[in-house]
Amino acid sequence: MNALVIKALAFAGVLIVATLVVIKQMNIDLSDPVNMITFIGAVAIAVLAFGVSAKYIAQMKTDTASGELAEENWDGIGEYKNELPGGWAYSFLGTMIWGMWYFTLGYPVNSFSQIGQWNEEVKAYNAKFEATNKNADAATLQQMGESIFLVQCAPCHGTTGDGLSGKAHDFVDGRISKKQVLAVIKNGSNQLGYQMGAMPPMMAQGKDAEDIAAYVAGGMKGEQPAAFAACASCHGADGKGMNGMAANIADYDENLITHVIKNGKKGAIGTMPAFHDRMTPVQIKALATYIKSLKGE
Amino acid sequence: MFHWLEKNPFFFAVGVFLVIAFAGLVTILPNFAESARPLKGLKPYTVLELAGKNVYMKDQCIACHSQLIRPFKAETDRYGQYSLSGEYAYDRPFLWGSKRTGPDLHRVGNYRTTDWHENHMWEPTSVVPGSIMPAYKHQFTNIADIATAYAEAVTVKNVFKTPYGNDIQPGVKAFEAYKPKVLAEAKKIAADMKNKDVKDAVAAGKIPEIVALIAYLNRLK
Repeated sequence: MNALVIKALAFAGVLIVATLVVIKQMNIDLSDPVNMITFIGAVAIAVLAFGVSAKYIAQMKTDTASGELAEENWDGIGEYKNELPGGWAYSFLGTMIWGMWYFTLGYPVNSFSQIGQWNEEVKAYNAKFEATNKNADAATLQQMGESIFLVQCAPCHGTTGDGLSGKAHDFVDGRISKKQVLAVIKNGSNQLGYQMGAMPPMMAQGKDAEDIAAYVAGGMKGEQPAAFAACASCHGADGKGMNGMAANIADYDENLITHVIKNGKKGAIGTMPAFHDRMTPVQIKALATYIKSLKGE
Repeated sequence: MFHWLEKNPFFFAVGVFLVIAFAGLVTILPNFAESARPLKGLKPYTVLELAGKNVYMKDQCIACHSQLIRPFKAETDRYGQYSLSGEYAYDRPFLWGSKRTGPDLHRVGNYRTTDWHENHMWEPTSVVPGSIMPAYKHQFTNIADIATAYAEAVTVKNVFKTPYGNDIQPGVKAFEAYKPKVLAEAKKIAADMKNKDVKDAVAAGKIPEIVALIAYLNRLK
């Protein structure tokens, strides 16, 4: 062992000690296999880097070259016609064989699909989401509904759900406004896909329509106007939509939110696009829970 | 032979070129040929939408908005289905963008409507309180350049065989004959808008930039 190798190993030793100091300082837990492997790797790099360079520097100092020179030379710098060292040649061949195995059997070039990865990820996540939230309690639904509302609904309905001063439906101020009720009575509605089917236009006119609108917009309190009978045949006497056969005009419920999310709506205020493939049933339920809570008294 | 190549740098360069070119051909071309075709059912942009696309480019929406949804769950949850290369077949140029100061717009037509865009372009903070997007009020008064959009449709029809109908033909006469169709499309959008100046302009046969832009944004689905 010559002086150079000793110096190199000493240097490697210093590096290893430095690594240990860092481990101590940062309280790194070596019982974690990943940390341990990283540490062993660091030691190996230190020893190999300095050991190998020391070996070759020593060899350069003493080695002499021999063999037959090739014909061509570049500015006096020539090239020996020596055979490739056996180890190199075999490892080169080995990598070629490994390369063929890798591209065909080991990890075929067409085996990765970004879309496939997306499919798997989304499927796994959705399954997990459904399993965790199948029987979610009211508080979870409320919180989930709020976060969905803030992302998907707030751009039009506002972060507080007030409809941004008439730019979209107002969830805070009762169920529907007089203007909206009048517009639906006038135009009918066949957008929400309820089992009861289309609502024909002009079910009531003039004062009757006004009375109905005032009654519905007022939260269906007080005496029911006689003309409401026309509405009651589908929406029910209490306006709750006969268990989901028609739209609930008295209150927000899951059924109503589901139909609007699924079909979108064009009403007195403007157009709401359908959000059908953007939410799962659980999320719609959560959203309904949150929207119900927005309504001020 | 290798010694010969080493002594002849020119032929060595030719050899290197051939090897790399061959590798490029077999890896790039088949995939490219397949994915550059338009998706089945994809329609080319209408003239009004093209005019809107030009407004989008002119006002540099691309500086802050991308049009490419990557296949990651976080993105598809927020923006919808991931983008496919065949969807951009009629985009010349495509407007993928490279920076999202604002959200991605590739499917904005699915979840925003004409009236929302109208409010938003007039005063972004009126609908998105924390928005740093500037207002684009000039789009409500500037008149969209329909003639250029029409010329573009004619060009891509002739050069790239983009499937426009027979009524898109070169010449001023054909353009004049086609104009009412563009106006009819603009009127449909203006009907959903509230700005009086815009409605008046469309009624008078002029198409403000905002109408063309909304036509384009609604088309992005």
